[in-house]
Amino acid sequence: MLDDLILGMAGAGGDGVVSAGESLLAAASSEGYHALMTKSFGSQIRGGESSCRVRLSTKKVLNPGGALDVVVALNWDDFFKFGAELPLSIDTIFIYEEKAGPPPETLKARGVVPKELIPVSISELTKKSSGTEKSKTSVVLGLLSGWFGIPAEAISRGIKKKFGSKGEGLLEANEKALAAGIEYAKAHPLASPHELARPKAAPGSKMLCDGNDMCAAGALFAGVKFFGGYPITPSTEVMQTLSKEIWKYGGTVLQCEDEIAGIGATVGASFAGRKSMTATSGPGMDLKTEILGLATIAELPLVVLNVQRGGPSTGLPTKPEQADLFQAAFSGHGDVLRPVLAPTDVEDSFKTTVTAFNIAEQYQTPVIILSDQEIAQRKEALDLIDTTKLEVIDRRVPTAAELADKPYARFALTESGISPISHPGMEKGTYLAAGIEHNEKGDPTSSGGLHAKMNEKRFKKLEPLKQRSDLFELRGNADAKLGFIAWGSTAGVAREAVELAKADGHDVKLLIPYLLHPIAEQVYADFFRSLTHGLVVELSHQGQLYRMLRMFIDVPKGVRSFARSGANPFQPRELVKRLIELKGQPS
Amino acid sequence: MTAPAVFEAKHYKSELKPIWCPGCGDFGVLQGLYRALSAVGRPPHEVAFISGIGCSSRIPGYTTAYGFNTVHGRSLPIAQGVKLANPDLLVVVAGGDGDGFSIGGGHVAHAVRRNIDLTYLVMDNQVYGLTKGQLSPTSPKGLETVTSPLGSLEDPINPLLYMLAYGAGFVAQATPADMPGMTALIEEAIRYPGFSFVNIQSPCVTFGEEDQQLKAHKTKMKTLASLKHDSSNQLAALDLARAYGTELYTGVFYRNPNPPPTYEALVKLRQAEQSKKARPHHQLLEAYLQK
Repeated sequence: MLDDLILGMAGAGGDGVVSAGESLLAAASSEGYHALMTKSFGSQIRGGESSCRVRLSTKKVLNPGGALDVVVALNWDDFFKFGAELPLSIDTIFIYEEKAGPPPETLKARGVVPKELIPVSISELTKKSSGTEKSKTSVVLGLLSGWFGIPAEAISRGIKKKFGSKGEGLLEANEKALAAGIEYAKAHPLASPHELARPKAAPGSKMLCDGNDMCAAGALFAGVKFFGGYPITPSTEVMQTLSKEIWKYGGTVLQCEDEIAGIGATVGASFAGRKSMTATSGPGMDLKTEILGLATIAELPLVVLNVQRGGPSTGLPTKPEQADLFQAAFSGHGDVLRPVLAPTDVEDSFKTTVTAFNIAEQYQTPVIILSDQEIAQRKEALDLIDTTKLEVIDRRVPTAAELADKPYARFALTESGISPISHPGMEKGTYLAAGIEHNEKGDPTSSGGLHAKMNEKRFKKLEPLKQRSDLFELRGNADAKLGFIAWGSTAGVAREAVELAKADGHDVKLLIPYLLHPIAEQVYADFFRSLTHGLVVELSHQGQLYRMLRMFIDVPKGVRSFARSGANPFQPRELVKRLIELKGQPS
Repeated sequence: MTAPAVFEAKHYKSELKPIWCPGCGDFGVLQGLYRALSAVGRPPHEVAFISGIGCSSRIPGYTTAYGFNTVHGRSLPIAQGVKLANPDLLVVVAGGDGDGFSIGGGHVAHAVRRNIDLTYLVMDNQVYGLTKGQLSPTSPKGLETVTSPLGSLEDPINPLLYMLAYGAGFVAQATPADMPGMTALIEEAIRYPGFSFVNIQSPCVTFGEEDQQLKAHKTKMKTLASLKHDSSNQLAALDLARAYGTELYTGVFYRNPNPPPTYEALVKLRQAEQSKKARPHHQLLEAYLQK
């Protein structure tokens, strides 16, 4: 019995492999399995090749995993368009459309000699059982159910849900195709059994959602009342979800004419006293930069979600990358300190969004959330998130007594750097918010002395963030000599790498910063103290966090960057390998 | 309840001294604005004044209302966010011709078509004053400025036609040369329930042309009332608006006799209807449970 199974499927656009993956995921999650699915497409709007990988487990799933246990290829051309997305090993079982013929030499060229090759005449089986070729994916699901022990009833329920409304004929065809797949698998058992163990959780106990879902839900939980945005891959689903949900909670979504208007309307709503948010990806962030500066100087709370994709420019719109950290931290003119947070998985996307709102409101600042295409669009089956302990913070407004007491000074220079913020509608709270530098009252100034004081205020108020232990995750022995630092979607890979290293007898620790900027000097210094060797793991060409660390603190010589461009996610095993190699070198 | 306070024009005037040149048309606009606000009677703290960048965009600071002097060209989207976040506010947007029709020109059509209840006052002086006299989007063709020393080669934007063409419900033109007329037009624009626009010919004394000064306005202006224009006639309004740049017509070009519901009114209806489906705070995520 297996506790963990990783499947990959690839086919032409019309083959429905992604839809099959979704059915599999839905079935497994409703049964109580932990599961995770990533999908990958060519850049065509419709048609073109598509692939997905599904990881099913009886335990919490930390990342998409390493090499596939099982592959389903409907044709080889499309299959080989996905290299890094569908990693293979000598243990991978190949199920393929018989018509497509045996795998071409390409496979051998990649050093993969499959242990088990299973040709199945999928189209013929489909036609014979259901009378149509349209239900091909149901045959595939039947095969997977039969060979790997994924409960057929759950798959069947999913098929009913999906095709129930599309007419008797289609539903019946798919049910017959599913049965035919199961039957075929039973009649042709695998050489090496690969049955998945039963899940430990009860059916119906798992949430099925992706990172974008959880950012939208986190915003609603935090009390978002306004969302202004413009569609852009891979963040659009956040706006789509809020467009459906926000009205229920007294909020508004405005689909704006461009990215600038998107953040403009959002900053306007915040000025009016409401929690507000915008979401975008790299090219949209470029355009929003000027108004981010406005929110900083006017000290307006604002949450900006950047679901990172490959860049620069249009780059790789459908692939993940972690190369927007410099932009998040440093874009824009002038002296700016802007908090940047990064969720590491789907569950985190919820909590990090709530935290982003809390920081924005408490410190009166724009906050950037750096998600990425992988966590944003990968579907996960996970335990229901307990929200009862999550705090929701609202901005500190001046009390009526404070306003009656003396003339209101919106930007009063206080000990903490935070000054109570009024909003239109509040009597005696009127002030001028502006992009131009101001005095304590808010009146425009060109005084260099005041400008220096206000800069100090805007930096000082964010200092306490660096001390917040909830914004950092530490794993492993505090005095381990080896360690990883990883953030965003890469953190999930590092978490598993630490476990793998431990199983191999290596003492390795891990630091995951959820707060990427401002750089918490002390947290890193403490982490570095015991290290002789370490890796900062990032999905970008430059390794931007590594470079930022070197900008702000002394990084030991033995701590190196392990970075590569997007669309080629790290695998847990390779992190361990690289770290152990590094250990062999003098530090 | 206490009796509503009466707000006089002076109650809207702040202590800040305008940075404008002596004789700037914007002084007149500011006076007219105080009076119009007083006539409408909303207390200053219920008024939000949004602007971009330019001489005229300094206006929010000279009022006692809430002001947001934002970045160049983005006052309209920012104001829409303010109004949608709190529809009970009176939201006025102000700026110049460069702010509104050049750098921010892309936002105008969308502000108009959404019909959010904003009043947009453009102080049109056909020149960039703050940066000292460059060509603006409403500068006449052939104008010699520091960035067009040999004369401009392009036709100006026609702000009136622009607004009318996108279907703005209220479009008017005014000049501070006629204070009572301008004040009444600003008041009427504020009272119009939907997006309203007043193009105010506000002369730049330092960089403007001779024939665009207040003195010239006084002899040049013709009220639309004297032309017997029917302001409910959109086609007639379009026809008259074509004279922008040659004639100085003041008054209401178009006022929709049957104002449609505003965007925020539709939002309120939707919120009321959808609020029945709200989940309790700690049960939000149960929507994602896979049964």
